[in-house]
Amino acid sequence: MSLFSINQIRKTFTNGEVEEEILKGITLTLKEGEIIALVGASGSGKSTLLTIAAGLQSVTDGQIIFEGKNMSAMNQEEIRKIRASQFGFVFQFSHLVPFLTVEEQLQLMLDVSEYQLKKDEQKKEVNRMLELVGMNHRKNAYPSSLSGGEKQRVAIARALIHQPKVLFADEPTASLDSKRSKEVILLIRQLTKDLNITTLMVTHDKEMLAFADTIVKMSDGVIVHKKESIK
Amino acid sequence: MNLAWKEMKRNKVRFLILGSIIFLISLLTFIISGLANGLSQDNASLINDLPEGHFYMSKDANQTYNLSQIEPDIQESLITKQSDTIALAIQMGFVHDPHNKQQSVAFVAATDSPIFDEVEAGEVILDSSMKEKGLKIGDIVTNTQLSGDLVVKGFVKHKKFSHAPVALINIEDYKEMYRVDKMQFIFIPGEQSSEKFNGYESFSKREFLQTIPSYNAEQMSLNMIVWFLVIISGMLFAIFFYMMNVQKIGLYGILKAIGLKTSKLFNMMWTQMMLITSSSLVCSIAASQLFNEIAPVEMPFRLTMSTTIQLSLVFFFIGFIGATLSGIQIKKIQPLQAIQQGEI
Ligand SMILES: Nc1ncnc2c1ncn2[C@@H]1O[C@H](COP(=O)(O)OP(=O)(O)O)[C@@H](O)[C@H]1O
Ligand SMILES: [Mg+2]
Repeated sequence: MSLFSINQIRKTFTNGEVEEEILKGITLTLKEGEIIALVGASGSGKSTLLTIAAGLQSVTDGQIIFEGKNMSAMNQEEIRKIRASQFGFVFQFSHLVPFLTVEEQLQLMLDVSEYQLKKDEQKKEVNRMLELVGMNHRKNAYPSSLSGGEKQRVAIARALIHQPKVLFADEPTASLDSKRSKEVILLIRQLTKDLNITTLMVTHDKEMLAFADTIVKMSDGVIVHKKESIK
Repeated sequence: MNLAWKEMKRNKVRFLILGSIIFLISLLTFIISGLANGLSQDNASLINDLPEGHFYMSKDANQTYNLSQIEPDIQESLITKQSDTIALAIQMGFVHDPHNKQQSVAFVAATDSPIFDEVEAGEVILDSSMKEKGLKIGDIVTNTQLSGDLVVKGFVKHKKFSHAPVALINIEDYKEMYRVDKMQFIFIPGEQSSEKFNGYESFSKREFLQTIPSYNAEQMSLNMIVWFLVIISGMLFAIFFYMMNVQKIGLYGILKAIGLKTSKLFNMMWTQMMLITSSSLVCSIAASQLFNEIAPVEMPFRLTMSTTIQLSLVFFFIGFIGATLSGIQIKKIQPLQAIQQGEI
């Protein structure tokens, strides 16, 4: 069953007088629990596609259907609600809130997603998630005292704590060295599989590609190649 | 989760700087306003401290109290009609104290009324500031235009006119000193609207104060400074919150991206504004009240609680407007902006 489908979307940016079409009719379907890896040269429109799918910017034309509802026709508040409760995000940088401790980052996400939990259950859930990403020992630390890899692990925990249906990740390992990259990739692999979370991810990481159900290659705003693994 | 408080706790220095600027500027406003009020008291507490009511001067006096004259028959009929009506006369002058030093005073004569203590001929009641000059009850003071002496019968608090201490004397002595036989103006206490009498002009307390030379100019410039400070502090508020918000565009974007409502971001900003403003105001109110207590007697300073509260409310209002105006940009922030901006 398709959870998420992208139908013929187009995106045009206007820079002064110049109009530039960045996405030129993209169609893509994500099944529940599926992991799709987006690859392609820099500037081919991967990030634009990902952020549009995640409801972070609007389309010029086409539809995004999530759980049977057309997101491109929704207002800001409806999209915000979906983002808060059904989506998780990991980007190249962790984008943690500088004045919150690791633990508070996750609590904030639970608050925002209106994930109904009692106080002590909330604590337990936060601890469990921090345990999963191996950050429980730093739960009272502020982001400024964490390394890049640690921050990214917290960002992953924050993206998944509220048990979203879809995880969007845009080159989550681009700012890390190869050893840390590997750790983060393994973590995302394991968690999305364990929690059965549908994932759309821009990555060039070999391990991740081997693990993905589908690899979609983009070039100049169109999908040029689509490979489904035979797992 | 209380984001507003958590952020302030984590960024103490930034918020302390903002707080201390609000503290300083509100303290300055309180002090200047205390001085304005103090000077106003020093200039005219004799009039200021009268109950609400109306003043009457003769029309031909052209709004100058010491040119005004009240006809005795009018005065009589008015006092008969309303018994607490007062007829007054004021002249600036001098007394010689027992050490033969000349002290400038405002001689005031008034008809019998509960507002002014009774003075017999040969007696004088002085404003308590004269105590600082070494005068005490029973001392004898003189005036060159008066044949007899004046015995200091007592002191009253806060009775000043045109920056001089009031010397309340008997009408007979007054008439002898200034060779007049008529009072200058009438004061009728009461909230009722003014009545019209032929040949007389009526003034509210406020209007009457403004006929006193120097009072108007003095108060106007001080009030202008006060309002100037209030406006400057409003602008400072707006500028500071604006700069803070600009620095926080990335943060707001992230919070929006993960799904925080824009209204929550506004609440966060308002909470911070309220916390900073109220703690700074508490400090500056305490400091200005302390100043009120320890200000030297020669310095006319009077800051009432009601003025303080009024100004504080104005500060809150201005802080709110300033923060909100500068916060309108929060509404426009796109979550994507923050993500593309890189790490915050
Ligand atoms: N907000 C924008 N305004 C104008 N051009 C944009 C904007 N966002 C992206 N682009 C352009 O769209 C193209 C694709 O960008 P992007 O989706 O980030 O590519 P990728 O992630 O594949 O490297 C680039 O040429 C970029 O300059
Ligand atoms: Mg990109």
